[in-house]
Amino acid sequence: MKHSEKKEGTLTPPATDILEMDDGFHVIMDMPGVSADDIVIDIEESELTISGENSYVEPNNSLRRLHIEFTPRRYRRTFSLSDLVDHDNVDADLKDGVLRLYLPKAEAMKPRRIPIS
Amino acid sequence: MVIDFSSMHEGSNEIERIFEDMFKKGPLGSRRLFPQVNVFENDDGYIVDFCVPGIPIDDIELVLTARNLIIKGERKSPEGRYFRQERLAGSFQRALSLNVPVDLDRVNAKNENGILRVTLPKAELVRPRKINIHSRSGN
Repeated sequence: MKHSEKKEGTLTPPATDILEMDDGFHVIMDMPGVSADDIVIDIEESELTISGENSYVEPNNSLRRLHIEFTPRRYRRTFSLSDLVDHDNVDADLKDGVLRLYLPKAEAMKPRRIPIS
Repeated sequence: MVIDFSSMHEGSNEIERIFEDMFKKGPLGSRRLFPQVNVFENDDGYIVDFCVPGIPIDDIELVLTARNLIIKGERKSPEGRYFRQERLAGSFQRALSLNVPVDLDRVNAKNENGILRVTLPKAELVRPRKINIHSRSGN
């Protein structure tokens, strides 16, 4: 994923769901119009920052804009990761304009059986 | 993706463009419009962009008549224990009226990164055309 130089559009925090499933935590973000090349995911210390440049472009062949509800956007949002998360094994997937981050639980947090000696 | 060219009764076309927003049950309809839509027009036709992140093209239904375009579908939310839920989920439907008839045979739709672009060429009879005026002598 390379960083894009273009800086067009309004900076917006993407609508986000955060949920826990059996396998770990999932962070799901709406980033319509953004392609994988335009997404940057940084983890620094315990801060996770997601940025995306919107690649939505209006059709441009001498069209009149009859009705406009959405415009090009840049997305950015930062989360702090708890110790519950395995920082080294975060996985990301972009499909149909939705970014899904998978954050596995840290080994120390997984339920385990304590043997009784 | 289903493109359904069903025949629907034609409503009054006195108003050029009407957006009707009908929501079924679910949190979707509470505040925000979904999906957001942009409409562009030129002499050849319309381009309608719907913002539909996270909805596979197979889960979107477009119903098109000569003058109406209706989009419907459902955005599902995954099962889990939610800490935060900001993304809209549930059934949605929006309808828009086009002020001139479109050519149903040449409608095209594609989904790219969650933006569904529907291209609707205007029906041949309503496209502006140049009429050659021949002057005839001897009449």
